[in-house]
Amino acid sequence: MSELLSRDWQDDPSIAALARARAAVNEVILDKPEVVDLAFSALLAGGHILIEDLPGVGKTTLANALSLAIGGQLQRIQFTNDMLPADIVGISVFQRDNEDFEFRPGPIFANVVLADEINRATPRTQSALLEAMAEGQITVDGQTHMLPRPFFVIATQNPLDLVGTYPLPDSQLDRFLLRTQIGYPSEQEERRLLIEPDRRDLLSDMRPELDPEQVQTLVMAAAELHVAEPVLDYIQSLIKATRMHAGLRAGLSPRAGLALIQTARAYAFINGQSFCSPDSVKAVFPSLATHRLQPVPESGLAGEEVVAEILDTTTVP
Amino acid sequence: MTAVKDNSRLPLMPVIWTLAAFLIAAGPHLMAMPGLLIAIIFTLAIWRIAAAHFEWRPVPGWLRILITMVLLIAVVFAYGGMWGRRFATGLLCVMLAAKTMEMHGPRDLRMVASVCFFLIATQFLFDESLPYLAYLAAGCWVATVALIQIQHIPAMSRERQEEHGLEQRGMLIQGAALLGLALPVALALFVLFPRLAQPLWGLPDEMMDGRTGLSESMSPGTISELFLDDSPAFRAEFDDQPPPPQQRYWRGPVLWRFDGSTWRTVQFSRSASRQSVPITESSLRYRMQLEPHERRWLLGLDYPASSNMPDSSITSDHQLISRHPITTLSQYEVISTPDFVPDEPLTSTERMLASYLPPDSNPRTRAWAEELRAQYPDDRELIDAVLQVFNEEFSYSLSTAPLGRHGADEFLFDLKDGYCEYYASAFAVLMRAAGIPTRIVTGYHGGFWSQAGGYLLVRQSDAHAWNEVWLEDSGWVRVDPTAAVSPLRITEGSRSVVDRGRSLFELDWIYQMRNQYDRIQHLWNQWVLGFDAERQRWMLSQLGLPQLGPLGISLLMLFVVAMVAIPLAIWLLRNHHRRPADEAERAWRRLLRHLRRNRLNKQPSETPLEFAERIETQLGTRGTEFLELSRLYNRVHYGPLDQQLTSDFITRARSWRTG
Repeated sequence: MSELLSRDWQDDPSIAALARARAAVNEVILDKPEVVDLAFSALLAGGHILIEDLPGVGKTTLANALSLAIGGQLQRIQFTNDMLPADIVGISVFQRDNEDFEFRPGPIFANVVLADEINRATPRTQSALLEAMAEGQITVDGQTHMLPRPFFVIATQNPLDLVGTYPLPDSQLDRFLLRTQIGYPSEQEERRLLIEPDRRDLLSDMRPELDPEQVQTLVMAAAELHVAEPVLDYIQSLIKATRMHAGLRAGLSPRAGLALIQTARAYAFINGQSFCSPDSVKAVFPSLATHRLQPVPESGLAGEEVVAEILDTTTVP
Repeated sequence: MTAVKDNSRLPLMPVIWTLAAFLIAAGPHLMAMPGLLIAIIFTLAIWRIAAAHFEWRPVPGWLRILITMVLLIAVVFAYGGMWGRRFATGLLCVMLAAKTMEMHGPRDLRMVASVCFFLIATQFLFDESLPYLAYLAAGCWVATVALIQIQHIPAMSRERQEEHGLEQRGMLIQGAALLGLALPVALALFVLFPRLAQPLWGLPDEMMDGRTGLSESMSPGTISELFLDDSPAFRAEFDDQPPPPQQRYWRGPVLWRFDGSTWRTVQFSRSASRQSVPITESSLRYRMQLEPHERRWLLGLDYPASSNMPDSSITSDHQLISRHPITTLSQYEVISTPDFVPDEPLTSTERMLASYLPPDSNPRTRAWAEELRAQYPDDRELIDAVLQVFNEEFSYSLSTAPLGRHGADEFLFDLKDGYCEYYASAFAVLMRAAGIPTRIVTGYHGGFWSQAGGYLLVRQSDAHAWNEVWLEDSGWVRVDPTAAVSPLRITEGSRSVVDRGRSLFELDWIYQMRNQYDRIQHLWNQWVLGFDAERQRWMLSQLGLPQLGPLGISLLMLFVVAMVAIPLAIWLLRNHHRRPADEAERAWRRLLRHLRRNRLNKQPSETPLEFAERIETQLGTRGTEFLELSRLYNRVHYGPLDQQLTSDFITRARSWRTG
């Protein structure tokens, strides 16, 4: 992959597998390599990703492609407003044979969970999912069940479709490591979309390139990436800037700082670097910070604008 | 348990540095301190190091109060009172040493280190010489390093010992840098601090410690230490040539009263003072720079006619006297008339004093005087005859012999060997016995002429004593019996006759170097110690700022200090969180400076790679190279340490130019 990767990982088959998975997803989702990289960063940093955009830009396609490429057990949950928590986590059923309750695991028991249109479900159902995401386990009828490893949730939501939805509260948004948009494709890629066969047909040809064990290996490798003093300085000054900014209600939490360093590591790792550079921090910072920050209404600024401003005014040491 | 212990215990290094700062600051004071107090201070310092090393428990409060009381009494006892500079500084030293007992936290250490700066400054009350300045700078440095060490205490408890060891050198450099930063402010304060023409308070009249000098009395065999004291007594600046050696008699105390062994000065009543020395064509005008000697006389070439020293007067026996003791380096101008002879008739008191001999003393001298008188009725012939005898039968040496009741007898008939005091004293006795009124003048004779400096340096070793005899037809005539014995002493200076008694290391080039060094000391005296209201006004007028009152000068001083301090403060605050730039980072910054000159500015928020990609096309053919270079820097600066890549980058960065 790259001559810069440290010797221990260079020849590991999981590295090649990761590269293939990345290439496969990029083949389906045209012209959005940065979104694909962010998604893989969330995976390798042990977090979850929320894709938020208008209908039709390819949210579900991206989520499908990702889940297919990563491999392992896949589950797709289409959220609706009549869903109950049990529909996600599972249910205890009375067994007549041995006269006892038996737990039937819900669709959340999988390595990759695609949670489509998450804001259509009621807050009660949402929180069942979010709690599972946060803790990596669920509790039903007083019994705790561990979720499989790796456990990766790709959620989508449509921010503009407000009728009959329950937008995720801000306080719960930070269960997602990253939140990203996809955006419209460029002119050339739009043309390719129009003339070439439906991208969704490509999905049926996709094979998993990675297996859960390989993902675990990669997560560990990414967490070991070298972060130099100047990069730590940079991360700290970014966090400090969010706390000092007059247009924000509150700054990033220490947990967000930890998340930032892990995600930047993962981002550098999938780009074949043996160390974390400020470029990686810059690349992941907007997706990581925007949904965790709330601008004060009086400032008239959107979260994206504030984050861009912070990046533009913080010195890279 | 261990965690609690670790938190409460101070690291060893800051304690040692603080104690070192204290001992250096107290060092010069210790030299002049009673042995009891020295013992106390060292005991406390050693106790503190031991306490830090063996982790002894702190001394309880009641015991500390008790110790403080005991120490206070000890200091009062050692100095025999509660007054004077020595007492105050001694008390400060001892109490600061006691304070080390309760150094428990960074705050206590910081306090001790800060007071050390003050303690260092107090030594200026006793010694303002140039070597002490170097010592003081070293002391300030150690105290500053101690403060830096104290600042790092929280970090030290966390770090491993070897990492901590590496930092020591950095702290030394940082300490020096901080002092360097303080220098401009100190300079501005020195030049502009408003000076008063007169000190606000007088220093108590105390004996100079261990420093010899002339005194108000003379008994043969006491000033011999002076001959071995090479410290400067004063300097005299002449506009052109200095007077010839024969005229270099610097008049000090004039001694009239004799009790058989000791000669003393006489305070004549003011009304007795009359004859003023005329200023003639042969008069010399010169500037004196008198080292402090804690006495009241100002020296001047025979015979001083006038002086611009404030509060000074000239007595009837032509001593130049100040109203206050000379406690600081004093500069003043004197006009002297060398060929003047005081010839106003003696008053009866003067005649009585100048002729008095204790009864029943020195019978042999009296007999010889009568014999001489019979032989030479004329005073001048008599004097010449005595000098002739001195020249033929007597010798000059620095050996001292205690003289008994009949001192002149012993000297003139048995000893026949000695130095100026003996001769002046015996000669005076002999003259008085022969009926010629005689007085002794003490002072200095000669001096080293520094051609480059344009001044005459007179050392303590140039101290001298001579006689003045009253001749009815001419007045007070100077007679130097020592000159008759050893003419070399007068033409070549005391050094030529004293040499034999000195160490073998007293080589000529060392003597030359000492004189060179004295030139520097002279400039130091003139421009630093002697920088008074007068010179300050002169300097400001040279800068085009005439006629500023104390308030104006104060405001100017505040303004200048602010102009120096504010940019420094801004710069320091900006750099506060930055790590020291390593070599690769410096090479990279040089590259950025080079690009900036070519109008390619890196934004602070840009990463090296973003910047290189942005300017790649603008650099043309060199763009790709620069992109590669910044990739290398990205790897070196943000990646794990790799010596090979780092030196590779530095070499390439140094040779890279936009072309």
